[in-house]
Amino acid sequence: MALYINGIGCISPQHTFYNSVFLPEVKEYTTNRMACVDADYSKFFDSGSIRRMGRLMKYGTASGMIALKDAGIDVPGAISTGTALGLPEISQKFLRSLIEVNETIVSPTAFIQSTHNTVSSNIALLCGCHAHNNTFSHKGFSFESALTDAGLLAKENVDNILVGAYDEVSDYKYAVMKKTNELRKEPCSSLDVYGEKSHGIIAGEGAAFFVLAKEKSENTYGSFVGNKAFYKPESMEEIKNHILSFLKENNSSLADIDVVITGISGAMEADSVRIALNKSLFSTQTIVAYKHLCGVYMTSSAFAFWLASKMMKAQQIPDTVILENRNRSPKNILLYNSHKHNHSLMLFKAC
Amino acid sequence: MRVFIAGKGVISAIGNNVQENLASLRNSKSGVSKITILPTRYAETIPAAEIKLTNEELAQFSGLCSNEPRTALLSLIAAKEAIANANIPDFKKWRTGFISANTVGAMDKTETIYKYFMEDSNTDKLLEEDPYDAGYITELVADKLGIKDHITTISTACSSSANAMAYGARLIKTNQLDIVVAGGCDAMSRFTLNGFNSLMILDNMPCTPYDENRKGLNLGEGAGYVVLVSEKVAATLAKKPTTTLSGYANANDAFHQTASSPEGKGNFMAMQGALEMSGLSTKDIDYINLHGTGTPNNDLSEGMAVQRIFGEVPYASSTKSYTGHTLGACAGIEAVYSILSIENGIIFPNLRFETKMKELDFVPVTELLENVEVNHVMSNSFGFGGNCSSVIFSKAN
Repeated sequence: MALYINGIGCISPQHTFYNSVFLPEVKEYTTNRMACVDADYSKFFDSGSIRRMGRLMKYGTASGMIALKDAGIDVPGAISTGTALGLPEISQKFLRSLIEVNETIVSPTAFIQSTHNTVSSNIALLCGCHAHNNTFSHKGFSFESALTDAGLLAKENVDNILVGAYDEVSDYKYAVMKKTNELRKEPCSSLDVYGEKSHGIIAGEGAAFFVLAKEKSENTYGSFVGNKAFYKPESMEEIKNHILSFLKENNSSLADIDVVITGISGAMEADSVRIALNKSLFSTQTIVAYKHLCGVYMTSSAFAFWLASKMMKAQQIPDTVILENRNRSPKNILLYNSHKHNHSLMLFKAC
Repeated sequence: MRVFIAGKGVISAIGNNVQENLASLRNSKSGVSKITILPTRYAETIPAAEIKLTNEELAQFSGLCSNEPRTALLSLIAAKEAIANANIPDFKKWRTGFISANTVGAMDKTETIYKYFMEDSNTDKLLEEDPYDAGYITELVADKLGIKDHITTISTACSSSANAMAYGARLIKTNQLDIVVAGGCDAMSRFTLNGFNSLMILDNMPCTPYDENRKGLNLGEGAGYVVLVSEKVAATLAKKPTTTLSGYANANDAFHQTASSPEGKGNFMAMQGALEMSGLSTKDIDYINLHGTGTPNNDLSEGMAVQRIFGEVPYASSTKSYTGHTLGACAGIEAVYSILSIENGIIFPNLRFETKMKELDFVPVTELLENVEVNHVMSNSFGFGGNCSSVIFSKAN
């Protein structure tokens, strides 16, 4: 069942806070770590709350509230979210304090915000939403599962579903990524994602939320046709089969697709698959990349969802995201992303 | 379309499998005792419901490496038992999912590695940390079970595994899957022990759910899974499923980040939603397996909501008096207990109950009841963030 995207909210390492503009200027990073551009949170929370809330709690919750406001919805019919890592920075604040004092006296403030459902439930609290509230925390399937949940909810006659995802790169996670040699050598340019010298990824983060509805509104960005997640494909053939059968299941075919959003990131092994697919399967589509804008994180496909929404509404593809230009207008958009063993497909259609 | 329960598996402080858990439930044998496995300064002062097996012993038992997170070791043991119990012919030919819940993930590993990180931000210990997150536990276990058609992890605090079962049932009802192994797991960690302690909601004695003088909860650990199957799969089974998952609902209290509203609005909505889906009336419910953590706040809110919705409250008890509060695992474990109640016609007592709560008209069951006709059981799970879920299990005709 296709659902209309009637509201969006995104806080990311780019200037995505205002829905009235579309990537007005591209922020370039010369380090291998990107951080969300902070917004003016006083519009959303009182000063006491702002002090107590962790960074992700603020930008995650605010993104959800922006999407609701954008859609003109006070209370959504349900909330379903994805976060691969929950709230690591604030959880580790609690962990640090309990290690420092050797388990004597610790403040509960950070512990209270440490469960993975904190953002989702905080949005429910702020808008007074007593309906279905779910949080999926499964690596590169986190946002994907929330979308599947939204699809199920729509079939169960729920409307105006707030769906979204959020993750942050904590100091600890960054240290782990550094240690495991995944990161690009500094200094580097975030805009040079795909050059020979650009091997390695840039750690990123962000939050993006969407209101999915059954009826079109004046604010509709386009429609979300469906998604599919698959685990540990054994070969390129299997990936291709998943893509083709996914399109078929959604009454579409490769020939219908105008734009492919690729998860290309600078990670050598995963990129070799993505590049091969771009050459073999997607030879007539305009290929769009996005991880040079938001970095690599496990729910980055939510940023790609935001990008697809904006492209559909504006009927324009910003130069900065074009990897291969085949002069196609963004009508039918396919996303193929992967994070290690988690592969993800999404299909969008402009109205 | 009905969703059948073809198998179940559990490990908790009161037993390493279904039969051991049932024996302890029958014999009022509580799993709450002194902490001996988790390294913590509270070992002598705060009791918990630990599984008295070391990671090495659990590893031998599960077939995983003892270096793996304790949560995964527990998960695999219970999930394997559930699948073996279901005994589905040609398991591989069906579209199968593994929907597992957890809240602590690999915190037992992280809280150890983090100490080294605080001393040296470049420590080699970080190399071990890379895969650890909630989804890691699920993927590790799914791989061992040989399930790959649909896997995901739900983390909605203490209601997590109820939501995992509901999500699994919805995937079956919409014909996306034929079989779903659904439930949850969580191991003890210093993180959660200190967290609940900082909130001052841990009892320093074995907990007394629904007692006027209750002090708080005991932390527990474990895993519980059910094998949900479609009607089509159920028809192929030699052993006919005894129960169905007849209702479930997920609601949000939207009152406070960690406390329940005094009237239990979310709890009420979850129970009401589950009843509506099952098409049952409150009179049809024979037993309520209460969330009943033993904290002043939970038992009051839940009790008020139960009273408001049921009027005349059926048999009710909290089995957390046996298992402690196992967080993301509790709804999975209590699902197994609810099914055992239906299969055996028994109602489990709420241990250590003495004094009726002054706000409530009902008291929990305090003695084992046998030869009871149990057709429908409601199981409640509520958590931080106002996440409230109720599920209903019914005798399959």
